[in-house]
Amino acid sequence: MSTLSPTAPDGPTGALAPAAPSAAARTARRYAGFAARRTGQALIVILLAYVLVFLVLAAIPGDPISAQLDNPQAGYTEEEKAQIRAYHGLDQPVLVQLVVSLVHALQGDLGTSLATSQPVTAMLGAAIPSTLALASTALVLAVAIAAVLGLLSRVLPEGRANSLVRSVPTLFLSTPNFLIGLVLIQVLAVNLGLFSLVDSESPGSTLAAALTLAIPVSAQIAQVFITALDEAAGQDYAEVALARGLPPAQVVVRHLLRPSLLPTVTVIGLVLGEVLGGSLITETIFGRTGVGTVVQKAVAAQDVPVLLIAVVLSAAVFVVVNLVIDLLYPLLDPRLRTAKEAR
Amino acid sequence: MSTTAATRPSRRRLLQGLGAGAVGLAVGLPLVGGVREVARADGTGDDLELSFLISNLDGGWVPAKSAISSYEANVWQQLTDKLVHTDPKGKVTPWIAESWEQSEDATEYVLHLKDGVTFSDGTPLDADAVIANLQAWAVGRPDEGLPRVGLFPGGTFEGAEALDPLTVRVAFTAPTLSFLPTLGYHGCQLMAPSSLAGSLEEQSDLSTQVGSGPFVLESWAAGDHVRLVRREDYDWAPPALGASGPATLAAITYTVLPDDTLRASAARAHQTDIAYNVNPQVLDSFTQAGFHIEVPRYLGFVHGYSLRTNVAPFDDVRVRQAFTRGIDRAEILRTVFTDAWEPATSWLQAGVPETTDLTELFEYDPELADRLLDEAGWTERNADGFRTKDGTELGFTLYPTPYLTGSVPEAELISQHLRRLGIRVHTQKLDIPTWTERVTNDLSQGVGEVTRSFVDVGTVAGVITDEGEDWFSVGSSDPELVRLRDAVAGAADREERAGLVDELSRHVLEQAYFIPLEQNVQRIYVQSPDLKGITFNAVAIPSYHAATKEPS
Repeated sequence: MSTLSPTAPDGPTGALAPAAPSAAARTARRYAGFAARRTGQALIVILLAYVLVFLVLAAIPGDPISAQLDNPQAGYTEEEKAQIRAYHGLDQPVLVQLVVSLVHALQGDLGTSLATSQPVTAMLGAAIPSTLALASTALVLAVAIAAVLGLLSRVLPEGRANSLVRSVPTLFLSTPNFLIGLVLIQVLAVNLGLFSLVDSESPGSTLAAALTLAIPVSAQIAQVFITALDEAAGQDYAEVALARGLPPAQVVVRHLLRPSLLPTVTVIGLVLGEVLGGSLITETIFGRTGVGTVVQKAVAAQDVPVLLIAVVLSAAVFVVVNLVIDLLYPLLDPRLRTAKEAR
Repeated sequence: MSTTAATRPSRRRLLQGLGAGAVGLAVGLPLVGGVREVARADGTGDDLELSFLISNLDGGWVPAKSAISSYEANVWQQLTDKLVHTDPKGKVTPWIAESWEQSEDATEYVLHLKDGVTFSDGTPLDADAVIANLQAWAVGRPDEGLPRVGLFPGGTFEGAEALDPLTVRVAFTAPTLSFLPTLGYHGCQLMAPSSLAGSLEEQSDLSTQVGSGPFVLESWAAGDHVRLVRREDYDWAPPALGASGPATLAAITYTVLPDDTLRASAARAHQTDIAYNVNPQVLDSFTQAGFHIEVPRYLGFVHGYSLRTNVAPFDDVRVRQAFTRGIDRAEILRTVFTDAWEPATSWLQAGVPETTDLTELFEYDPELADRLLDEAGWTERNADGFRTKDGTELGFTLYPTPYLTGSVPEAELISQHLRRLGIRVHTQKLDIPTWTERVTNDLSQGVGEVTRSFVDVGTVAGVITDEGEDWFSVGSSDPELVRLRDAVAGAADREERAGLVDELSRHVLEQAYFIPLEQNVQRIYVQSPDLKGITFNAVAIPSYHAATKEPS
């Protein structure tokens, strides 16, 4: 990836630099170059995703306009059908449609739903806050649950309680999302009336949905966190600290937490996809109107313009998240600033 | 306008959602129990509100496009008025049109409009507004992506003119008996001319859609909810509803909950007043819990099978007749459905004014069925006990429609009935796309399943031969069918046509082209017993103008 020679990790990039700049400035400049390159790559990936998704969707036969027009009950004439198809550009060759759509998208016009005739931006724009609220609450809950489990696994003395804590993630992982949701709905909403099924965006409903989503996700974070803590605990400095008689809680906070954070942050980045994917199912279970619901309906109705933007959007989210993690690594761990570049 | 309506609630929701996360994390779950109070739309006296759970509102709001969907029709019915009211028996009574005249040959109609009616933006609902609507229903603007209303008789529409500000003359190029009843169906709702003038995208925004109905839009969010509030100066309800002046309810909130079980759970938890469409199998538990179940029937064809006569074994009229005689419909009603379902009396729903009771042509008669199969030469039996002829086993496959809850157990029961006659019937359940591909679009499939409403009985002429959808694959080979088709399609007098429809129905059932099962119910309303004064129209869509909530 990098042009730097592995044998000279600390050497200046431009050997011809007239006056050697300070080490910090050099690192900053190198980091800026790395960031710009990564950002450019990310943009190209998003563009390619757009083209690819467009072509794949174009290969699927059928669309909601034709479904409506071809309904024998409606009794439209061939001329009427042709006029309406032409209005939507459905009579153009695929490549022309692609170019038109791409040009419009670059100008900020993301198209119109074939099923509802609404602008796609309005449909997704209305759905995004709901998904964002669900996903962010779920992520916060998941991290909190994982943190508690991880810390307990180090602080609790070895024994039944500790192994119980350590088996919780496996239990969480093996419980399907929809089952948790159904139980929460039955117990909390129907039996106890703690939240409203009708007002699915109310605080209580959001919390219940987020909990449904957070439980399996927290398990993955907890597993990595616990392993990382265990690994750190096996290091000499930690054993020394323990031998010096420091209480386990202090050892965790002072010596184990920091080295365990890197793998944990990585896995949080990875489960973000899980959170977004899982929100589709969770939204359905709780009747929320989020991006997942919009996508699901677009699939059922073969509403290509909505699907296209939704898929590209999720691809973009992935790319951006990975970009952010990539850009964060060197800042989290100074060793990586050079090592990663050099690799 | 569109952005405020669409984004304001969502921004609020975002804050709510984030707030929920914060509050919930900080103080724990029990505190959020407070939402229970606001969850159920409720109130007293003048502030009565209705909460309605619906499976989807995804069809969009362009009037001409969403007109066919029964989901959006629920909302349109409260927002708009129609020229006439058509009741569940197909009776046409005045609404915005106070009276009308029809020419001898049914090619010309004159509508006299009620005086003083206004749209909710203040513009008058006069002859010009009615003409703008007729134009949109009959012709549309296809070059701008706006189709006409498919159910409206646009094919024979010639034009409309204002004779004076409250009188409209409508002309057709051929007898069009369906004109008046069609005016009472959803799709033919009256919109303000300014709304109709909007582009496709403008019309897709519900907040630009102005009607003259008893409720007006307060807010909506795509795919999530629609909230309506009472229009205080409304005073032109159809006399058929039995109420005048503004509506009793102050507001109605339609909330989208796509999942069947979730709507049922919300109803059970008393978090809503009405849940639309739940599984018929759970209805009994609701009745026992004190809920009121409405299963209004629409005008149209009964639920049944249309047989393709060019596909063996249905190429033999005796086999078709044995099929229809071998089904124990009483048992189906008892086991698959509840008491609310009614037996079929013809291939048309009993509410259709032209329907006559022809039960004797298809009622259960296993001995007759056995005899017919013997006569048709299916006399041998194979090792499994099924009838054979020249070594071929008598049998076929049923693919229950995925659109109708109950059609799978029903098909299984029918397969048991026919097994007793020695016919082997396989049943196979398919999802919607596969079903469309393998059954609807596959003309080599012998059995088609019919669940369809129609605006006017003239529709039957369009489905029975190759002049139309050719349900029975007879083409024009049955001269009696062709004669009756032409007579029904060209009739200019409703009474005369009723006689022809009876003759046609008799012929269809005698030939066993169509196997009636039971009267079709596709809309199920689970209601709180407190709700009173709800009326349904000819296509089973409720009106809440006269509705109220009184503890029973």
